[in-house]
Amino acid sequence: MDKDWIQSNTFHHSEFKDIDQAVKAKRKKKLSISLCLPTLNEEKTIAKEIVIIKSELMTRYPLIDEIVVIDSGSSDQTRKIARAYGVKVYLANDILPHLDKFKGKGENLWKALYVTHGDIIVYIDADIKNIHHRFAYGLLGPLLFSENIRFTKAFYERPIVSSENKLRSTGGGRVTELVTRPLFSIFMPELTQFLQPLSGEYAGYREIFEKIPFNIGYGVETGMLIDIYEKWGLHAMAQVDLDRRVHKNQDTRALGLMAFAVIKTFIRRANQLKKFDNHKKTFDEMIQYTRVGEIFQPEVHFIEQHERPPIFELPEYRKKFSKGG
Amino acid sequence: MESALYKRKNNMEKYIDDLPTFVDRIRKMREIIISNIVLLGQIPAPTFHEKRRAEYLVERFADFQVDECVIDGFGNPIGVIRGSAKNRKSIFVVAHLDSFSEVNDNLNYVVTDKTISGIAVADNSAAIGVLASLSEVFKQLGLSFKSDIVLVAPTQSLGRGNLKGIRQLLKNWQMPIRGAICLESVKLGRLNYYSDGMIRGEIHCSITSEISWGQHHPPNAILVINEVINEIMKLRLPQKPRTKIVIGKVRGGFNHGKDAYNAQIGFEIRSDTDKMVKVLYNDIQDIVYGINNAYAVELKLKRISNLNATSLAFGHPLVKCASKILHRINKEIVSEPSETALSIFLQRNIPAITLGVTHGENFHQEDSMIEIDPMFKGIAQIVALLMAIDNGVCDG
Repeated sequence: MDKDWIQSNTFHHSEFKDIDQAVKAKRKKKLSISLCLPTLNEEKTIAKEIVIIKSELMTRYPLIDEIVVIDSGSSDQTRKIARAYGVKVYLANDILPHLDKFKGKGENLWKALYVTHGDIIVYIDADIKNIHHRFAYGLLGPLLFSENIRFTKAFYERPIVSSENKLRSTGGGRVTELVTRPLFSIFMPELTQFLQPLSGEYAGYREIFEKIPFNIGYGVETGMLIDIYEKWGLHAMAQVDLDRRVHKNQDTRALGLMAFAVIKTFIRRANQLKKFDNHKKTFDEMIQYTRVGEIFQPEVHFIEQHERPPIFELPEYRKKFSKGG
Repeated sequence: MESALYKRKNNMEKYIDDLPTFVDRIRKMREIIISNIVLLGQIPAPTFHEKRRAEYLVERFADFQVDECVIDGFGNPIGVIRGSAKNRKSIFVVAHLDSFSEVNDNLNYVVTDKTISGIAVADNSAAIGVLASLSEVFKQLGLSFKSDIVLVAPTQSLGRGNLKGIRQLLKNWQMPIRGAICLESVKLGRLNYYSDGMIRGEIHCSITSEISWGQHHPPNAILVINEVINEIMKLRLPQKPRTKIVIGKVRGGFNHGKDAYNAQIGFEIRSDTDKMVKVLYNDIQDIVYGINNAYAVELKLKRISNLNATSLAFGHPLVKCASKILHRINKEIVSEPSETALSIFLQRNIPAITLGVTHGENFHQEDSMIEIDPMFKGIAQIVALLMAIDNGVCDG
């Protein structure tokens, strides 16, 4: 196990605060950069994310070349508001419409590869309440200033918003600590060095993202981390401390669904990698119980486990990006 | 002499004619302006705890290449855009830095296509964000000034702060000041050029627990304070000079079934004349003294801030010029007395006015909100007025 990785490949966003230098590094490497915001009913946060990133990293410093919103079919004003700030907005179902349709964050991230043009893609969740441009330049720093690093992942101090607008300093990352970290510790201990393997913010070179499959739902981060680690190794990966991320807290039942998807993805990968041998049938339904009077009533949630193949395998993609399809 | 006046009038028309173009060009910078409002406004800055916001504002001034950026000895963040002429007076643009919030408040603003909402955005985060954006606005509009433009966000302005930041800054400012524009987030159309004489005070009633032991009918602090309020209400206020007493805060008690040990009210006396304010304050002092003796409780009166009545003449060129600008952007003018940094400038015989930046609602509530689009007119009015002052159009 490479125990030094956490020392050598962990960064703090403040190391990349000089955005002018980042722009110079980007120009020197002749790179273009796309930012993707996957959305589903994010009318309260989407505008702020677009406005701050656009102002600080497009208008003032030309670090990011395009911002793209990929929406899963919001029923609120998300798409209208995003369009008002002049970014490209797509309905996920309108991209590659001849393919089967799925709904989920991973689906949006995968389809973003088809509609964006950047050599580097930055993915940032659209529900961040304390968005700051450090979320983007922090993730981009190691990619631009290092020759080896091809993928960066965020970690945070994660306060959550409680009632009356006060902050509590802990509460995030329960699925990480109770599910992902124990699984990594047992089967892939090197990956435990990622302090928040499920964080929703990451960036990487297109050549990385286009060659890995994308789980369409909550399993996308787990699958992505394992696949990049297996294909390119730890030395191609880094993590960046982005300080604080304020987000809406989820209740335990909702986190249960997330944990289910993470475990399913992990089992699938572990089987493929022969980390353990379990080819018995597993189920795709998470069952939770609610007490109604004297009766415990089951709630069955079907959690779709579809996975998109590496987009590089798609003829349309290869044609669009001139990679000989 | 006539030709100078003619020239001045012509110049004024010129700046006013530029307004529609300014509005369109400023609108193109909306992301930068909104970012400044959000990034600065989300840092809590209650009075006496403005340090973090002050540091970030100075950082933003530096990011936008303001020539001199500093926090002075009183915690006021200052940015100076150097003018082309040497030894010219400077022009101040001022927006108070502190806001009604708590240090641990979660100030995450919500931005939509039309509005920005969140604690204190309407008092005074929007104005602070605009202040931070002004140097970039000048750059984008291709403007330069002969005078130094001094951008200041004074600390300790509200409540007990009693405008201490701006008082100290002006007391220590060595160079002559040609004029000042004070900014408040809302409301676009306000044109304040005078301030009332004012004293803010608090009356505390406390009853020690020893007094109440063994008494069947111990005094109740809330009832004592109620007596004070009744006596204040009996005071006769003249119609001229225009005078008002506002009882704006009340607090007291512990629970429903317990006599209150503590109670307090906050009040403000306002008048056209300082003399009347003093007379009424003395009357309230007498009321407090009398009730104190009658009830044998601990009743204390404390003055927390005061301002002198000051005014710029309505006919002053600065007021006239600002009025013309507001007419040109189709804004109805509302002039009321203002208890802001304005009065400190006027006390020092520096021509000054207060302008509003945009429209908004719920100024001091959690869902405080401002409208985005009117703000571009609000910024254009500031720019046009600065150009006018810089060219001598507003000299008295």
